[in-house]
Amino acid sequence: MGAWLRSGRSRGPTPAEGRGPVRAAVDLLDAGPFDVVVLGGGNAALVAALTAREAGRRVLLLERAPEAQRGGNSRHTRNIRCVHDGNDGRSVGGYGFDELWSDLCGVGDGPADEKLAALTIRASAELPAWMSARGVRWQAALAGTLQLDRTNRFFLGGGKALVNTYYRRAAALGVHVAYGVTAEDLVVEGDRCTAVVASCAGRTFEVAAKAVVCAAGGFEANLEWLRAYWGDAVDSFVVRGPRDNDGRVLRALYRAGARRVGREEGFHAVAVDARSPRFDGGIATRIDAIPFGIVVNRDAQRFYDEGEDIWPKRYAQWGRNIARQPGQIAYCLWDSKAAGRFLPPMFPPLQAGSVDELALQLGLDPRALGATVDSYNSRAGDPATFRPGEPDGCATRGLVPPKSNWALPLDQPPFFAVPLRPGITFTYLGVAVDERGRVVGADGTPFVNVTAAGEIMSGNILSSGYLAGFGMTIGTVWGRIAGRTAADVAA
Amino acid sequence: MSRREALRAEAVRQLRICDACRYCEGYCAVFPALERRSPEIEGSVDYLANLCHDCRACYYACMYAPPHEFAVNIPRILQDARLAGYDEFVSRRAPHRPLLRGQWVVPAAALGLISLLVATVSAASVGLGAFWRHGHGAASPYQSLPYPALLVLAGIPTLWGVAILARANVRYWRATGGLRGASVRPAALYRALRDAAVLANLRGGGGECFYPDERPSPLRRRLHAAVAYGFVLCVASTVSAAVEQDLLGVQPPYGLFSVPVLLGLVGGVALVVGCAGLIWLKLRSDPAPESVAMAVRDYGLLFWLGLLSASGLAVLGLRWSTVAGAAFLVHLAVVLTAFVLAPYTKFAHVGYRVLALVQDAAERAGRRSAPAPAPGGGRPA
Repeated sequence: MGAWLRSGRSRGPTPAEGRGPVRAAVDLLDAGPFDVVVLGGGNAALVAALTAREAGRRVLLLERAPEAQRGGNSRHTRNIRCVHDGNDGRSVGGYGFDELWSDLCGVGDGPADEKLAALTIRASAELPAWMSARGVRWQAALAGTLQLDRTNRFFLGGGKALVNTYYRRAAALGVHVAYGVTAEDLVVEGDRCTAVVASCAGRTFEVAAKAVVCAAGGFEANLEWLRAYWGDAVDSFVVRGPRDNDGRVLRALYRAGARRVGREEGFHAVAVDARSPRFDGGIATRIDAIPFGIVVNRDAQRFYDEGEDIWPKRYAQWGRNIARQPGQIAYCLWDSKAAGRFLPPMFPPLQAGSVDELALQLGLDPRALGATVDSYNSRAGDPATFRPGEPDGCATRGLVPPKSNWALPLDQPPFFAVPLRPGITFTYLGVAVDERGRVVGADGTPFVNVTAAGEIMSGNILSSGYLAGFGMTIGTVWGRIAGRTAADVAA
Repeated sequence: MSRREALRAEAVRQLRICDACRYCEGYCAVFPALERRSPEIEGSVDYLANLCHDCRACYYACMYAPPHEFAVNIPRILQDARLAGYDEFVSRRAPHRPLLRGQWVVPAAALGLISLLVATVSAASVGLGAFWRHGHGAASPYQSLPYPALLVLAGIPTLWGVAILARANVRYWRATGGLRGASVRPAALYRALRDAAVLANLRGGGGECFYPDERPSPLRRRLHAAVAYGFVLCVASTVSAAVEQDLLGVQPPYGLFSVPVLLGLVGGVALVVGCAGLIWLKLRSDPAPESVAMAVRDYGLLFWLGLLSASGLAVLGLRWSTVAGAAFLVHLAVVLTAFVLAPYTKFAHVGYRVLALVQDAAERAGRRSAPAPAPGGGRPA
């Protein structure tokens, strides 16, 4: 081992190769051997690469996107959830293990592997200092905002600023980063991976490695894979992250015999504007108006309690709700009373002087929509009890389904509406890992030198449900663990 | 749709995406201001554009920056919007537009004409001895131009420049709605002036500005401070000379360790270093978040300020030489031309920027007691 070899499948230089970035990537792939090869270019991959490099290893990171779009789903993130004792000078009050543990138990089916979930929470305490030491900057807590300021720390400028910081750090430390390179497969002999098969500009390479970190995310952009579970409904799904997340590395791990974790068909989704681009629309396309209006399906019928719970739990509910409706489409309606109470949508909402007119604009049956709105209005809550800042119990009376909070009637024109689609954030299906981040085979024994971090293994911690900022916690904790293990193995 | 309307529409399109995202709210004053102006973005473009200090942090942090199809590039679109505002506020008449375009022909012609005027007045009042001499000791400017002539020659362009700039700032204030019902308390005014004085908005939420490329660096902020304070020192030098002469009765030339000379020397050196440094940085700056039209103006202003200070330093350096008179007259011609042209150059940004900071501080103070956000509001994760 040790020497790299160019695969026999290589087709020689292509016209595209003359350009700078491709040339640079190809040169890197030819510049082995590397101690640690990291597959992926988001948060978990970067943390693993930095960790292995700081341990003195020669590290190559393969990012599938070009440099301008590097960072995967992490570009769209904004904060991280860590336990702390409240003495960090940022927030009032601490956020301890027990509280985060109970928050985790409150979402979906709760922690998947309790041992690994507990390990993740304990390790989260070290993250803010670790990140700050690598140049990450934090947004000052804003006065009077959500309780999220206590539980979550916000990256100054968001996730892309975070990954930029890590890429700068990686460059300064001498991590080799190859952009525009797709990790296709792993060459596995027994319980050991000897090389990574990667493609770039139409050529295929085998990159020898002493250890491999798989941090290439889920398969939420692989519509054909999702179709296996969701049928033609996938044609209506919007994918909030980049189209590169097709689960190629996840598949390669399954081919190599890795054990599956997480719900196979499971994904986290929110309600996004139906006018969003198919891929990579990120945060700006999500619709936040639901608690202040009503949501109907294409038959102009309500189907779920719009006032069920406060953000952020509610936030995660609506993607699935809409995915289960006919045509996977819904429409959120509100009136002029509600304007300004929620984050404004990116695309201007449709607007009409009457519900009838709005129905025509939306292509809904005006009589059916009129009947739904009339029925809702006649059973709406008492406006005197309306409190926009908290669950107010201003609930509908005798309506099915109910609206349990903020149920003001829709009676003040102009009326507004946006069409909604399920917007998939990430998938839950992943590979099992052990406490050192090593990928576990179907028979329960771990691969010696294959580790995983981030979304590709988050199903070990959380197999359904969603806790704001915890995806970045998993990515950072396990990026560090996987990077350390890879560095140890490659020593 | 006019170019200005098209530009405004594009700015509104991009700002709506920002308003729906809000990830950049920690960087500078623009994004919190955008949140406050959320229902009325269309009418807030000029205000937001002049509040933007072009630190570019948001561009590098933006997942929607090109090549993303949303093509969000706030520094660039706000530069273009600022530029359109500069033109509109300073002059609505077409004949001035060539001046605004940052071309070299008009400024060069202006400098030529003014030099001729200065030389003529000087020669007519003093004779050819105005340009060179064989005397001893430091030259007095009045050996080249008598005080009353100097006063008239310098006064007219100065008053002209100040008047045009004042009118432009009034127009900005009206176009943006002024304080819009908010009041400026001393604390808010102090905050606005402090933010302007330390260029707080070039520090991107505690970091530094991303200039000339994606790596944060304090260089631009420091060089800008050198230019700004260098200019202030040079103005102070002139004012102190007037005080020495008219109030204290001390006639020029002033000694090397006198207040006017020291202020002018330090200010002039700071200006030359700052201008040269900023030009050097700009030549290396990432073109992606940069408006070419604005860059042309930037170069223009830096060139003029550089020339101004270099010619001023030359007067000091050559004051014992035979060409002391000529050096003084060249500097005077450059100063006068600069005053005439100042309203049409990027020099005008100073007023709009300070006014925008005052508007921002007043609005922020007025919003201290705003109601808590709705459960749907606040920050997406």
